[in-house]
Amino acid sequence: MPLPQPLSPTVRRLLAGLLFAVWLPLTALAQGILGGNTTPTAPPQMVRGELLAHAPQGATPGSKVWLGLQLTHTPDWHTYWKNSGDSGLPTELQWTLPPGVTAGAIAWPTPRKFPLGTLANYGYNGTVLLPVPLTIDPSFTGTHLDVQLSAAWLACRKECIPEEGQYTLRIPVQGSTALNGAAFDAALAAAPRPQTADGSALQPEPGFLKVALVGLPAAWRGQALEFFPETTGLIEPGSPWTQAWDGERWTARVPLSPQRSDSPAQLALVVAPANPPGEGAGTAGVRLDLPVQGTWPAAAPLPAAVPDALQAALDANAARAATPPSAPGVPVSLWAALLGAFIGGLILNLMPCVFPVLAIKVLAFARHAGDKTAHRANGLAYTAGVVLSFLALGGLLLGLRAAGEQLGWGFQLQSPGVVAALAVLFTLIGLNLAGLFEFGSVLPSSVASLQAKSPTADAFLTGVLATAIASPCTAPFMGASLGLAIGLPVIQALAVFGVLGLGMALPYLAASWWPAIARALPRPGAWMVTFRQLMAFPMFATVVWLLWVLGQQSGIDGAAALLMLLVVLALLVWALGLRGKGRTVLAGLSLAGLLWLGWTVGPNVTRMQDASPGAEVATAVQGVSWQPWSPERQAALLAEGRPVFVDFTAAWCVTCQYNKRSTLADAEVLADMAAKNVALLRADWTRRDPLVTQALASLGRNGVPVYAIHKNGQPPRVLTEVLTVGEVRTAIKGL
Amino acid sequence: MLHRRHLLAMSTGALVLPSLLVPRPAHAAASVGQPAPDFTLNDTAGKPLKLSQFKGKLVVLEWNNPGCPFVRKHYEGNMQGLQKEFTGQGVVWLAINSTEDASSDYQTPPQLARWMRDKGASPSATLMDEDGQVGALYAARVTPHMYIVNAKGLLAYAGGIDSIPSARVADIDKATNFVRQGLGELLAGKPVSTPTSQAYGCSIKYKT
Repeated sequence: MPLPQPLSPTVRRLLAGLLFAVWLPLTALAQGILGGNTTPTAPPQMVRGELLAHAPQGATPGSKVWLGLQLTHTPDWHTYWKNSGDSGLPTELQWTLPPGVTAGAIAWPTPRKFPLGTLANYGYNGTVLLPVPLTIDPSFTGTHLDVQLSAAWLACRKECIPEEGQYTLRIPVQGSTALNGAAFDAALAAAPRPQTADGSALQPEPGFLKVALVGLPAAWRGQALEFFPETTGLIEPGSPWTQAWDGERWTARVPLSPQRSDSPAQLALVVAPANPPGEGAGTAGVRLDLPVQGTWPAAAPLPAAVPDALQAALDANAARAATPPSAPGVPVSLWAALLGAFIGGLILNLMPCVFPVLAIKVLAFARHAGDKTAHRANGLAYTAGVVLSFLALGGLLLGLRAAGEQLGWGFQLQSPGVVAALAVLFTLIGLNLAGLFEFGSVLPSSVASLQAKSPTADAFLTGVLATAIASPCTAPFMGASLGLAIGLPVIQALAVFGVLGLGMALPYLAASWWPAIARALPRPGAWMVTFRQLMAFPMFATVVWLLWVLGQQSGIDGAAALLMLLVVLALLVWALGLRGKGRTVLAGLSLAGLLWLGWTVGPNVTRMQDASPGAEVATAVQGVSWQPWSPERQAALLAEGRPVFVDFTAAWCVTCQYNKRSTLADAEVLADMAAKNVALLRADWTRRDPLVTQALASLGRNGVPVYAIHKNGQPPRVLTEVLTVGEVRTAIKGL
Repeated sequence: MLHRRHLLAMSTGALVLPSLLVPRPAHAAASVGQPAPDFTLNDTAGKPLKLSQFKGKLVVLEWNNPGCPFVRKHYEGNMQGLQKEFTGQGVVWLAINSTEDASSDYQTPPQLARWMRDKGASPSATLMDEDGQVGALYAARVTPHMYIVNAKGLLAYAGGIDSIPSARVADIDKATNFVRQGLGELLAGKPVSTPTSQAYGCSIKYKT
């Protein structure tokens, strides 16, 4: 792995110490981020039914007429809602009505949940009225309306008794029937309010249904809710489940039935405050009809147990990593996120992936030493470039998130096209530094003068470049800040991204404003040419790294095609720098060659290689090997009682590669892992993988590297992003 | 004050609702397409029976409780008819009762054996699961809850006895009987067209 600059052990210790010093005061903050008149004809029974009518304006065509079956339950007995839950049956009403009169569906009041051991039912106790609207057509011309109802319900305590009742009722067409107005008003008030699906989502995952609802009544915030799907046989109503509030967002993870008999594309559901007081219907809830995102898993065994408190915490994390709600965030956690982002940005400068940019920047400072004004302007321009790029990236990320794209931070380098474009850019920079061509001789003079005469614009572009390179590496806290930023309102989230950039640019800004810092830099002179040429090599090393990343994505053909394109591109820029006939001929030939190559082998560059399931990767220690990560694999290993170490990594993340080759390859670390029988799983995010994105989100992160240690019955431990041998060994010993 | 509470809530990373802090059972329930979990239960005569001893044959599991109106609905002749029809074709039919002994519906093994005899039922065996462990293994929720295990020992059907959830005997003829349909398909060497359905009936009176 061609690291631009391998770190010496001394530097590593220094870095670890620095991170630790920053870590201590921030852990608390970082945690904050994670801061009638009826004729009953039935014998006495457990539930007494009565047919009621409500027609205050009479029963003329077009007037509002309600009928309803009122059920009065013996204490401890209940009847059922439209979805009865684990057992039971919904109450059935069969109407016999005169021609021209039709009955609608039952306007079911919000139900209650009746747990029974490991099972649960949805229904009503006490006294409940099931209202049904009547539609009276102009063709109906009677003087009175005769109604017959045949009702059947299942009355249950622990035992069940199917009961039924036959009822007749006569409603005068002229005149008011309003004796039971209060009962109908109460029943209709207890019906769940319909709500639009805006921003709410349902997503099945193996064994569970993930629910995320927005726009619920503000009075419910922080309260436990009950979740009632209208489809039967979908969830396990009696199994423990988890829910969490994050601002105005309510999220839940509901266990799916292992013998699910339905996989609907659309699911109507009711949520209502849990444990409603009194008897009868539940507290009026909210009804949503939501499309189901993604695909229903094949019925799978339930995953291993996760403590509920932990699951609730994970739910809250996941809520933060999902689409941004539009409610104001919590100021305290915003400040924490801003501070974390600022420090994260500072630390970003110490990350190996920023090194190529440092090379460019050091060169620029050396070039303008002594010109104070230009220097300051450059510092400011660079800062502006970095901050604006971070804002643009953040904005793009938020926009894509809002569009439902399952993307995380670092997504720029998950696209082969972007990787190839960066490789082209670095090749050109490298060739330019090496002196093969001058920008003035290639580009139109106006752009050339922008480069030559306006170092400020140059500095600004450097800032943009720096951001593009640095973004895939998340420094400590950056992950947490970003995780929160994604859940913040747009403006606040953008502020977090901006401060992140500010942190990254600050050292250069300081150097450009305080001459003392700038003075420490060497004087310009003849050495600069040598230095400039020397700087070409880190650029080429970066190109090698980018090609390696591309090779992971589009295979050896893609990498070879890009290399060929780069060679011809180099030929072209060199030919353009020639004079006279040679220039015309060679430049023409190389341009034609470049176009031909682009047309023939170019598509190989962006063609994604089929993702092959990764094989086991052996380590230096006998019996310890890395296996490809999958949620199922992780659950299975945890169920066996083994601790699981997950390395969330990507080919384009240099920090990840560095950790992989140093700490994670350390013999002592691996021996400790073997001693504790830790299973090593590697989650590769080089290509976009929604499962990995989700797993990162559940840990409150959306960038790599992330190192997580899972053990059944314990909360997951997330380690720092620049791993040290000591840290990992301590964490493993603690298992 | 609210402010402090907010901080407290944030420092734990989430608003953990105390009402949810209950232990989660850590068993994997049977699911269709997966191997049917093996079990050993005593029949009403006290003789132990093991599911795996029937490997190579189709096995029907019928969750039964004579105290349940839905069971009584199907024991007006429908269930006995199914038992007779398919045990005659080599299918093993196991009636399982997971009612806990503290329940008012509980019947002792001799009582249950007599009820089955009086009803003219002919299962291969009637099994006692008073502690509900096998019921939990199969995630059986109601009586009757029906399962079919294929000759390879995989669960091929889980769900209700038929397509009309009601306690009315009159609905039986109008309904699609998923057990008859599934067994017919398996006996003909075809895949089960309806591998899962919504089971309906009374809650099983499990030991809590």
